[in-house]
Amino acid sequence: MARWGMVIDLDRCTGCQACVVACKAENNVPVVAPSQAQAGRSMHWMTVIPEVEGEFPRVRTRFIPRPCQQCDSPPCVKVCPVQAMTKSPEGIVSHVFARCIGCRFCVQACPYGVTYFNWQAPTWPADLREALNPDFAIRPTGVVEMCDFCHHHLQHAREAARAEGREVRGEGEYTPACIQACPARALIFGDLDDPTTEASHLARGPRAYRMLEELGTSPKVFYLKEG
Amino acid sequence: MKLSRRGFLGWSGTLVAAAAGCQGIRAIGDLQAATYEAEVPPQGIEGWVASVCQQCPGGCGIQVRTITGVQDGVKRAVKIQGNPYHPISRGSVCPKGVAGLQALYDPDRFRGPMKRAGARGQGQWQPISWEEAVATVVQRLRDLRAKGEAHTLLLMAGQVRGLMQSLLLRFLEAYGSPNYLSTASGCEASRQTLFLTQGIAEPIAYDLENSAYILSFGAGLLEAGWSPVRQARAYSHLRQGTPGRRGRLVQVEPRFSVTAAKADEWIPLRPGTDGALALAMAHVIVSEGLYEKEFVEAWTFGFDDWQDAAGTSHLGFRSLVMNDYRPEAVSALTGVPIQTIVRVAREFAATRPAVALAERGAGFHTNGLYNRLAIHALNALVGSIEVPGGTVIQRRPPLTPLPPVTRDAAALRGLAAPRIDGAGTVKSPLASSVVSALPEALRTGSPYRPKALFLYYANPVYSVSEFVRHPELLDAIPFIVSFSPFPDESSRHADLILPDHTSLERWQDDPIEATWGPAVLGLRQPVLEPRHQTRHTGDVLIQIAQGLSGTVAAAFPWKEFSEALKEGVRGVAGAQGGLIMTTPFEEARQRRQADAGFWLPTYKTFDEFWSQVAERGGWWDPAYSFGNRERAFRTPSGKFEFFFQTLRQRLEALTRRGAASGVGLDGLLDALGIQARGDRVFLPHHEPPRFVGEEKEYPLHLIMSKPMSLAGTRTANQPWLGEIPNVRTSRPWEIAVEINPESAHKLGIRDGDEVWLESPGGRLRLRARLYQGIAPEVVHVPFGSGHAAGGRFAEAWGANPNRLIGGEADRLTGTPALFATRVRITRA
Ligand code: SF4
Ligand code: SF4
Repeated sequence: MARWGMVIDLDRCTGCQACVVACKAENNVPVVAPSQAQAGRSMHWMTVIPEVEGEFPRVRTRFIPRPCQQCDSPPCVKVCPVQAMTKSPEGIVSHVFARCIGCRFCVQACPYGVTYFNWQAPTWPADLREALNPDFAIRPTGVVEMCDFCHHHLQHAREAARAEGREVRGEGEYTPACIQACPARALIFGDLDDPTTEASHLARGPRAYRMLEELGTSPKVFYLKEG
Repeated sequence: MKLSRRGFLGWSGTLVAAAAGCQGIRAIGDLQAATYEAEVPPQGIEGWVASVCQQCPGGCGIQVRTITGVQDGVKRAVKIQGNPYHPISRGSVCPKGVAGLQALYDPDRFRGPMKRAGARGQGQWQPISWEEAVATVVQRLRDLRAKGEAHTLLLMAGQVRGLMQSLLLRFLEAYGSPNYLSTASGCEASRQTLFLTQGIAEPIAYDLENSAYILSFGAGLLEAGWSPVRQARAYSHLRQGTPGRRGRLVQVEPRFSVTAAKADEWIPLRPGTDGALALAMAHVIVSEGLYEKEFVEAWTFGFDDWQDAAGTSHLGFRSLVMNDYRPEAVSALTGVPIQTIVRVAREFAATRPAVALAERGAGFHTNGLYNRLAIHALNALVGSIEVPGGTVIQRRPPLTPLPPVTRDAAALRGLAAPRIDGAGTVKSPLASSVVSALPEALRTGSPYRPKALFLYYANPVYSVSEFVRHPELLDAIPFIVSFSPFPDESSRHADLILPDHTSLERWQDDPIEATWGPAVLGLRQPVLEPRHQTRHTGDVLIQIAQGLSGTVAAAFPWKEFSEALKEGVRGVAGAQGGLIMTTPFEEARQRRQADAGFWLPTYKTFDEFWSQVAERGGWWDPAYSFGNRERAFRTPSGKFEFFFQTLRQRLEALTRRGAASGVGLDGLLDALGIQARGDRVFLPHHEPPRFVGEEKEYPLHLIMSKPMSLAGTRTANQPWLGEIPNVRTSRPWEIAVEINPESAHKLGIRDGDEVWLESPGGRLRLRARLYQGIAPEVVHVPFGSGHAAGGRFAEAWGANPNRLIGGEADRLTGTPALFATRVRITRA
């Protein structure tokens, strides 16, 4: 069985945020009004974190795209009292909105801050509603939501593969929306257990590391250092 | 027990939730699962249409996913992704590209033709029919023409190319007005740089992906540059595209921009001294003999001192840089350490291919053109012209040319009138259009009073500083027509709104300009039926022309725009070359065949060609023959000119014409604000920059950038983009002024304070953000937000720095000196 993972090459990433908007569009993630955004309630399943160090003129910045880290040992799943946070047999951590009671234990438990709480019912002006993705339900107030590697893309890919009587290929058939968009090819996706995929190759390379690895969460998102 | 979701939430927000124990909570959770019905957007049949993004001039091919609802039969566009066949985007997009959906579904779009119902500027409208709208325009234009005032029609356009631009120009030619005004001001100086040095009047294009060393003087390479997706792809390739090789990027500019952040080295310098820095690097390269001798000897003019036909000796580039631009002196001027100048110059010369870029930053000063010329001279020194990884010239697709226009007497008379903006005269000798000169013309009525204005993707009341401060100036024009699909500041002053379709609803060709070498023709086609009562501006133009009858009507013989489009594309189909956009693999195969002498097109008839183009999204010709020097140099000498003979001829011609009025060359140079004299005028050199505002009163320099999410004036009403205006701070909906912490401290300003930013031209209230990545004497505000009109979102956030910019320009090219304004900052 595939173990889907993402590799993020920080050397290639230009901080353009195409991934951020592509994710937002794909998953019908609500837009948060400026007043709410000021209170830190904006919702981006994929976001780019800028890290600024140093003093003028010796400044350094890194742009770190941050989706759900898709841990093999996910704290959010452990703390969820209603099994709304789940991990599929293929290792994809996703969230069942209908079960969520909004207790936000997962928000506290996640060391990467990737879970978002719907403080308000999402609203779109009528025209903008037209562009909603039919593949994804809209979440009501009071539930948590987060990146699930565009799990519905896997379902589509699986249906297509099943029609041909085979498994989904290790790369190229199932691709999350952020990865489709990225102009810099900074995001690479594939089966980490399949040694022929670019993702598995890069994840084993000398530039690879994982975020807060020491916590024992074993993320399936790998970062490649610059240089 | 029945618990409403909200009730439960209120309760669970306290620790009581934890105390209640898991059992109870889980039971309630299951209850929720049973009763909760998710709202799912309308389901339906999927389709994909290839098109071209129009959120910026980048020209990226896109694919749009549509869903035709099973229940309501409505076709909706629900996703935009890159077109894998299109060579610019190759399957990817930038954030604006994705948000193109929010342009189509902009809730504040104009929904049909309207006439003004209130006073100018109020934005009150009354719907009218298209027949009435077109008839009104025809009547007004016919009257003007009858009175011999055809030349008083102004047409102002923003980013537009291909057939639509040809039709706009054609309309003016047939009607009889010389006044095409372009608000795409950045291009003019780039075009003139190539024109003076290589004799080609087009913006410089760069073969970035093959470069090994990019030396960028303020270019917005990784922000909203001229083609953001392609630039990001090129950057990525430079870094990790070739195993074992990692190309270098050096960014010179006063602010630690996104590009600087991704560069190997950031070199901050004093604003407006880029040209001097480039020439000091040239000094190092020349004095150490590191330049490409073969190229310089065979293909350049004016490198060594020379004698003209009359026996007068002239200064050469070598002597100029050796005498005037010693690193020690330039270091003091620019603030860049001597060692840095020497080291970067050596690296640049030692790495092949290396390329120097001068888009944006360096060009936005009063000495912009000379800065650009100095920087382009570096390319010549290392032979990076028409070679892989160097500068190139954009090829154009072989569209069928439009038939010539017959000019009747009224047209001839109108076209003989001087331009309204003084472009090409002593005021701006090298300019083809100077929008920023319009306010003055409106104030003084000189050279004449414009009587009608067409606005096509141009919004001067937002983008031209003097109009931002004084929108009422536009009201001196008695008849204004806006073709904008979206409300904007300038349209508020229009008498008629004739809204165009948005880009996903119309036919349009999109030939790539000024991006890289190969010719690329993308095709925009309707993804769905127009959502509102809008009309293709191309169709409206044809209808207006036909209403005017005579030679104007004869110049527009088509039924509609798409007919003219097909006619143009016929030329490409018949051109015996290039290919329908396809996968890189298939491309390589076809190219191998072509190299072997077989060009095997995938189509036999034009209809086949057209349907393949529509399916794949376009046509392109990957073949670009590097090293074709004859083609690259069309100057008087047939070489790259360090000594600009064309500039000399032009200025001398203007002086001769002005001789009667007693204006000599010196007088002309004075008027243009050029301090150099003698041969230096015609060589790349450092002109001391001028700034608006006294240093004592306004101690800081204001610079601007175009963040990736805000291209020009059109995307601020798209909430997906409003949420990500600045990757550096990650603060949604916030446009702040960036200031160095040390400078802020002196002024008592803390991070997040509300401040007033004030220039001699005006003031702006916004938040201050302390940033280590900006020189202490500089502050920065991004372009693109802060709209007075433009829709519910656009009007609710941001700030427009154009309000502050003073009236300085690089007078040679008429390019507004956007970075030449001084400001002060105080707590609000
Ligand atoms: S789309 Fe790619 S380059 Fe842009 S921010 Fe995301 S990961 Fe980085
Ligand atoms: S770079 Fe420009 S053309 Fe390309 S996707 Fe972005 S906005 Fe569209």
